[in-house]
Amino acid sequence: MKPGWIPVMVVCGLLACVPSYGETDLAVLPRRASVRLTIYNSADLTLVRETRFLTLKKGANRLRFSWEGTLIDPTSLDLRPGGRKGGTGVASLSFPPRVNHQAVWNVRSAAGGRTPVEISYLTSGLSWRALYLVVLDPGEKRMALREFLRVANMSGEDYENAQVRVIVGRINLIDRIVELARRAHPYGRPGGTFQEAVMRPETARAAKMEGAKGRLMMADKVLSARPKEIRKEGVSEYFLYSIEGEETILSGCSGLLPGFRADDVPVVNLYRYERERYGDNVMRFLEFRNDARHGLGKTPIPGGVLNVYRKTGDTGRLSHEGRCRFGYVPVDEKAVLGLGPAADVIVRPKLTACRTGGYLFDRHGNISGWDETREYRIRVKNTRRVAVRVEIRRNFGAPSWDLKRTGKGVTYEKIDVDTVQFTLELPPRTEKTFGYVLILHHGKRAG
Amino acid sequence: MAWMPRVFIPLVIFGALAVPAGATVKLVALPDRGKTVVRLDRPGPALIETERDLALQKGQNEVVFSWKGMRIEPDSIFLRLCRNTVNAVLTGAGSREGEAALTWRIYSKKAGFVTARITYLLRGIDRRVSYRAVIRKGEGRADLEGYVVVRNFSGRDMENATLALGEGRTFRQGIRHGETLRLLFLERKGIPVEKRWVFDAGIRPWVVKDPGTGKGIPFGYRFRNTAASGLGAFVLPPGKVRVFQEDGHGGTVFAGEDRVEKVPVGEPFDISIGNSRDVVVTQRKMRDKRINVRRNRKNRIVLYDTDEVITAAVRNFRDRPARLTMIEHIPGQWDMAECSMTYRRTDAHTLEFEIELPAKGVRKLRLHYHRRNVR
Repeated sequence: MKPGWIPVMVVCGLLACVPSYGETDLAVLPRRASVRLTIYNSADLTLVRETRFLTLKKGANRLRFSWEGTLIDPTSLDLRPGGRKGGTGVASLSFPPRVNHQAVWNVRSAAGGRTPVEISYLTSGLSWRALYLVVLDPGEKRMALREFLRVANMSGEDYENAQVRVIVGRINLIDRIVELARRAHPYGRPGGTFQEAVMRPETARAAKMEGAKGRLMMADKVLSARPKEIRKEGVSEYFLYSIEGEETILSGCSGLLPGFRADDVPVVNLYRYERERYGDNVMRFLEFRNDARHGLGKTPIPGGVLNVYRKTGDTGRLSHEGRCRFGYVPVDEKAVLGLGPAADVIVRPKLTACRTGGYLFDRHGNISGWDETREYRIRVKNTRRVAVRVEIRRNFGAPSWDLKRTGKGVTYEKIDVDTVQFTLELPPRTEKTFGYVLILHHGKRAG
Repeated sequence: MAWMPRVFIPLVIFGALAVPAGATVKLVALPDRGKTVVRLDRPGPALIETERDLALQKGQNEVVFSWKGMRIEPDSIFLRLCRNTVNAVLTGAGSREGEAALTWRIYSKKAGFVTARITYLLRGIDRRVSYRAVIRKGEGRADLEGYVVVRNFSGRDMENATLALGEGRTFRQGIRHGETLRLLFLERKGIPVEKRWVFDAGIRPWVVKDPGTGKGIPFGYRFRNTAASGLGAFVLPPGKVRVFQEDGHGGTVFAGEDRVEKVPVGEPFDISIGNSRDVVVTQRKMRDKRINVRRNRKNRIVLYDTDEVITAAVRNFRDRPARLTMIEHIPGQWDMAECSMTYRRTDAHTLEFEIELPAKGVRKLRLHYHRRNVR
């Protein structure tokens, strides 16, 4: 399929001139006048909206649309005549028998003539994802954050000079678009199961994909020119990113577009310990807030993959600190990015004493309640050259307890019924030890 | 029709053909198809009513109806004589075992024309419904379109057919075997809608140890099938709803889809289209104690009450207010000791809170309750 001629072929004919279901229509292949792609990342889904100019006859017209070799969902096909409001209307949409990937709109035109029509449909195969690059300063108190959008097209269709928009948000889908696209009959058959109706992917499309390999999308154009502006705006519960100008997105290709950039974002070097979740590891995190104080906060940050580097000093060289996948961060919300286990911050809890007491007995002499006392000492060591915050969570596994701290400079908060969190700020290359006495109440003592 | 592997011979009239011994052939006629009504208003097979003008001879006539290759339910076929000016009488019917054909015997006192209406149930043709809603920019109104999708895989071309979809909605539209047809049956502009966020603690994950792992709060729109909403004329049939949202630049974005069940007149219906991650609920259980414990002679606990506290922080990160419907469940017998917000008890075990969230605001809920007589 030639780029720009699409799989999507519009044929216009005069109904009056042909038999009711004849295939002898006058074929006109109008090019797309414009095309807009709205690409989603929470599902394999893209809304394509294109404008074409058709020459309609007065009266009934039949417009044939075909999409062989693509991943278009035929149940989403929609045609809206533009220009002559009220003069042109769609009477019906037919998926004729014995042909695949073809639909015929029956359109009535009051006046005839050249008419713009807007055709929209959902397709599978186009995707976008956010990539992030973080460079920490040597003191790890500030970071530079850069966003990139990677757009990939495996839809089987080339989109030339397309306006590209991406959606940040999670939508409900009842059916996967790719499965709807592969049905032998657009809406299935009465009584047929869905699986029976699914066709195998066409070899033609696979061959086309193969042929497209090696072609560059728009990456060379983008990287050599001024970075494109991305306009971000909220639409209901979603965020819409509109990329400036037009892009040519060839099937089988992908491209990278630069997104936002924030150069001086305050960041907290955070380490967490929680045996029930992480085992004996101390996990490293970076924490910042998506707000104006941090040079961000204009829009939510879509989830994506983040690579963290650190400047190693005056040489300007970088070291790779870790990589993580994170979720959507609303405006004003805290972002906590997990970078995996760390060996340079050590947390060693030690049970130093354990005893029971306060026994209660029932009238048969059986134990009906008691207290269990556990004494812990926790050694926390920061072997790094930078200051860190350490959060230590302790789960008690019982709802009735009392806790006494021993040692100063350590605070804790109750997280839930049986969990507390100790928080420490550790200067570079320091060690702190603190303790606590936990009294667990069992049986009647728990009441 | 030549392409079809089997031939539907609509109606053939014989005069006493090859039946009672001694009978003679009076007439062989192949009448044109008349009006056909395809009734698709109920689930299951479609009801077909087709009319034929029969030229009857005086005396005994036979009318043969065959349906090879079609998915007709044989027991459902019957024939009625309409516009019967010759006083013809249906005297019987019969078929041969294993043959997709039925022969009616009609006695006519004189030669003339009658109109026969043949009715039968046909499988392989049905209809589905889908909707397309466009939410307008302010999210207070929507445009709603309803489409009926007719799928004909019955083995029969329906030419000059009237498709009756119930509630008085009919389309004069032929449909061939193997064809799928989509028709607009409902179009309303500016329907009032109400945006809703719903957090159901019984459905949504609120992980005590890691409350940040929720996948967002489901949101959607409430429509009403009422005259005040521009609807209310008929029961809305079930189907998939695709919702689009105006983007403020003359276009739309796809906002999500849901399935609605049958909506009676006067009833509301909710369409949930996605999850909002800008409204966040962080819910934790802060107390869970057994109180008033009763034990048996073996010191086993046989009955107790609980003392439970649940806290929830509801944050709205949006720059516009939101109204969250929060649903909490408390099993068994219970009484509320203290609750920081008013609630509606929708059933014995369900509490519903309507929480008005200011833009960029937080509301905190604290439930202190006792479950009684837990065994």
